[in-house]
Amino acid sequence: MVFIAILVGCILGAILGINAPMISYTYSSYLAIAIIAALDTVFGGIVAVSNKNFDLKIFISGFFSNAVIAILLTVLGQKLNVDIYLAAIVVFVWRILNNIGIIRRYYLNKMSDKYNEIKNNKNKTKVVEK
Amino acid sequence: MKESRKGKKIMIITVGLTCFILMAVMFMQFKIVNQTDITSIETMRKTELTTELASWKQKYEETNSKYEETQNKLNEYKNSQQSTEESEKLLEQELEQINKILGKTDVQGQGIIITLKDITQEQATDVSSIKADDLLIIVNALKLAGAEAISINGERIINSTDIVQIKDSFIRINNRQRVLNPYVIKAIGNQAYLEGGLIGSGGHLDDMKNLGHKITIEKSDNITINKYEGEIEAKYME
Repeated sequence: MVFIAILVGCILGAILGINAPMISYTYSSYLAIAIIAALDTVFGGIVAVSNKNFDLKIFISGFFSNAVIAILLTVLGQKLNVDIYLAAIVVFVWRILNNIGIIRRYYLNKMSDKYNEIKNNKNKTKVVEK
Repeated sequence: MKESRKGKKIMIITVGLTCFILMAVMFMQFKIVNQTDITSIETMRKTELTTELASWKQKYEETNSKYEETQNKLNEYKNSQQSTEESEKLLEQELEQINKILGKTDVQGQGIIITLKDITQEQATDVSSIKADDLLIIVNALKLAGAEAISINGERIINSTDIVQIKDSFIRINNRQRVLNPYVIKAIGNQAYLEGGLIGSGGHLDDMKNLGHKITIEKSDNITINKYEGEIEAKYME
């Protein structure tokens, strides 16, 4: 069910994005930083799901507040003439990579567990046959 | 059981919504990045525009100063060329004028042609033949009447011209040319003035006519007087 929701949301979002009116290039850097922040939150959510401590409120609030704060930081950086968005990108990308690492390890463990289980079952059946 | 199902539904909807928003924003961004030309002015940020503007301004100023320099140089060259051209023209004109006055060029213009035939050459009379003095008086009279160029039998009368009687036999002009009967005197100038200076009361030609010499005066609008053939030299003038 969740995967269907994700798929439908993605497709509808893509259609809307393609048909959306053009936004001035000036704001594209804010949009980009918001996207990175949202992606970070999404991967954080997946990690939370795999750790079985997923909280919808934390996920939603993180999704929006991260994006908004990233945008605000970028605006502030432009006002101060400091490229703060670079720091934000570094932090978010670092966290995304971390999260991906955690997800990878979790699923690899899961797969190896399943493999071992199958192997054990086979051995058991062999033993029984003997 | 019912509450957990409701919670699951909310979760699905929110996750779907989140994905929807994320994808929408991402594709918007893709579109912007795809469709904007980063180097075009419309998409530049203020700071980029300012730096660009400053660099263009500098370039403009440099080019402008170069252009002005070149323009100034060009003007200078033009002026100098013009002045040399003008002076050359003036000099040429002056030279031409001087040559005309000196008699070093052939000249044309309106004037009169006087033909004198000495009667003593044809028949024996006691009338005195035409002498250098007669020619001198005629030339003088022509000059007085404003003649600009005079020649006798094709010999140009210039500043240094002498008209000398050699014994009784011939007249020499310009210290080298013998002139013999008939004498053809050409003069360029106002026809009426020239004629009036020679005939009428006190005119020398009348006197000569009275003596019996054959004299004809012909007016012409296009008289050609040849240039002085000799050299004009100045040895002692400094």
